[in-house]
Amino acid sequence: MIKVKDISHFYGDEQVLYDVSFEIKKGEFVFLSGSSGSGKSTLLSILSTLLKPSKGEFLLDSLHAVCPSGIEDIKNIDKFRQENVGFVFQFHYLINYLNVKENIALAALDSKKQNIDKILHDLGILDLASRYPNEISGGQRQRVAMARALINEPKIIFADEPTGSLDSKNSTIVYELLAKAVKKGTTVVVASHDMQVQNYATKTIRLLDGKLQ
Amino acid sequence: MIALKALSKNKFKSLLIFTSITIAVMAIFLISSVSQGIIGMYSKMIKTDGDIIITQKGIADTFFSNVDIDVIKKIVKINGVKSSYAMIVGASPVGNMPIAGIYGTTKNHMSHYKLTDGVYPNKGEVILGSNLASQIDSDEVKIGAKTFKITGTFSSGVGFEEGGVVMNIKDAGDMFSRSASFILVSALYPKGTTHADNIDNLVKKITTLNDDIEVKTTKSFVKEYNQFKIIENSSLVISSLAFAMGLMGIASIMSMIVNSRKEEFGIMRALGKSRAFIMKNLFFESLIMSFSAYLFALVVSLGILEILPHIEKLQGYVNGTLSFETALYVLVSTIIMAVIGSLIPAFIASKTDPILLINQGCS
Repeated sequence: MIKVKDISHFYGDEQVLYDVSFEIKKGEFVFLSGSSGSGKSTLLSILSTLLKPSKGEFLLDSLHAVCPSGIEDIKNIDKFRQENVGFVFQFHYLINYLNVKENIALAALDSKKQNIDKILHDLGILDLASRYPNEISGGQRQRVAMARALINEPKIIFADEPTGSLDSKNSTIVYELLAKAVKKGTTVVVASHDMQVQNYATKTIRLLDGKLQ
Repeated sequence: MIALKALSKNKFKSLLIFTSITIAVMAIFLISSVSQGIIGMYSKMIKTDGDIIITQKGIADTFFSNVDIDVIKKIVKINGVKSSYAMIVGASPVGNMPIAGIYGTTKNHMSHYKLTDGVYPNKGEVILGSNLASQIDSDEVKIGAKTFKITGTFSSGVGFEEGGVVMNIKDAGDMFSRSASFILVSALYPKGTTHADNIDNLVKKITTLNDDIEVKTTKSFVKEYNQFKIIENSSLVISSLAFAMGLMGIASIMSMIVNSRKEEFGIMRALGKSRAFIMKNLFFESLIMSFSAYLFALVVSLGILEILPHIEKLQGYVNGTLSFETALYVLVSTIIMAVIGSLIPAFIASKTDPILLINQGCS
């Protein structure tokens, strides 16, 4: 599913990842752990094609990216992302001028738009459909973000500190939803400080100062 | 629809752009309209009842022109001339007003000033334009060093005249020490020749009557008149500068606002939305915003231009005319600058990795 070979990354002169290599199989729930500044968010951004790495290459499903310029060479990376990848961020990143339903519709493929109400119902937020992000709680926003990540039934979901701003009850809801996606065959990669992820993860990748442990 | 949602939800930012565009557009509308209005009023004064204008040779301004009024006696004898009259145009303090236009004219031209009250003036008498009359509550008025009896009020539809004084040309000649500022000639429509040919023939014939006169058709005079060129050029420079500053402001604000939305663009890219999708929505946002602000500015400017001639303090001298060409030019420029201002930073942002855009938005 994901094959990473010698990925390195620099921010200016500062190197944050050092020749990282590993593999993730389809349907795995991967816990990407490490302390703050260990490079896990950078690695997650690279794997999800949101950031071009400085060096190395990786295989993501059918996408073969040779770095540093490779990702841009693949036509329609945006479409690839929409069809295959789901994201959950720590701060939900909903668009403030779109309501809950419109935020999900923005991410949805045309063929999946009819499933919006169902997914909102499954996540218990159907009654929030017409509300705007600033009109709902943090936990509800993160559930909307989850619905947005799941709407296209992606092959892979990347989550960066998805429970960082949630209480334990809402954190459990998020992990349960991710675990449910894994059961349906989705690959999930979660970068987090939260050791609760271990209860759900089938594989753990540990980073220390930009290197695999 | 996303473009409309973005505009309506970000009310403060939208209002800021809307206000900036409105002010910039109104600046050029009002500056250029008022200058066009000044030219229009003076042109109307000259063109009404006149096909040919005779001024002193070599002068730059009709205010300094001095033509021998006796030339009229020779002009009216020329075949093809319908009528001829002389005018003196000057300015002087009138009553408590620091300055007002003074129009001295021959008797045969008095009927041009439609009386709304009283009778036409004889020597030592004046009639007042309706705007000026509303500010003078007396039977007499001091003009320069002399006091004149007010015999009536007139209306001509020309702002300059409505705010001024009309008197006998002899009184005006004493006041401004000249015979006539210019002479105007109306031509007949003779059989067997066109009106234009007749006017051209008359110009040639009148030119031979006196070595010290310059004879032109009123059309060519208005086209070539130095004062109009000065007004046009200076208003063009001032309005262009005002507009350029306004447009730069529009582009800057659009650019700043687009930059402040980098996080949003990063999220959209992360969700698989293409650069074209983001650019298209921004394009429509800019289009909607600039076009609606333009329309608002147009309506407000037209309203102001309608009110200006009726403000007593301005004596009707400030009178605006907004041409279709100016309105179209401003519309196109406004939309182009607003679109450029938003699309350039958006295009630059679209080349950045989505996660960097998201993180920049957070910082």
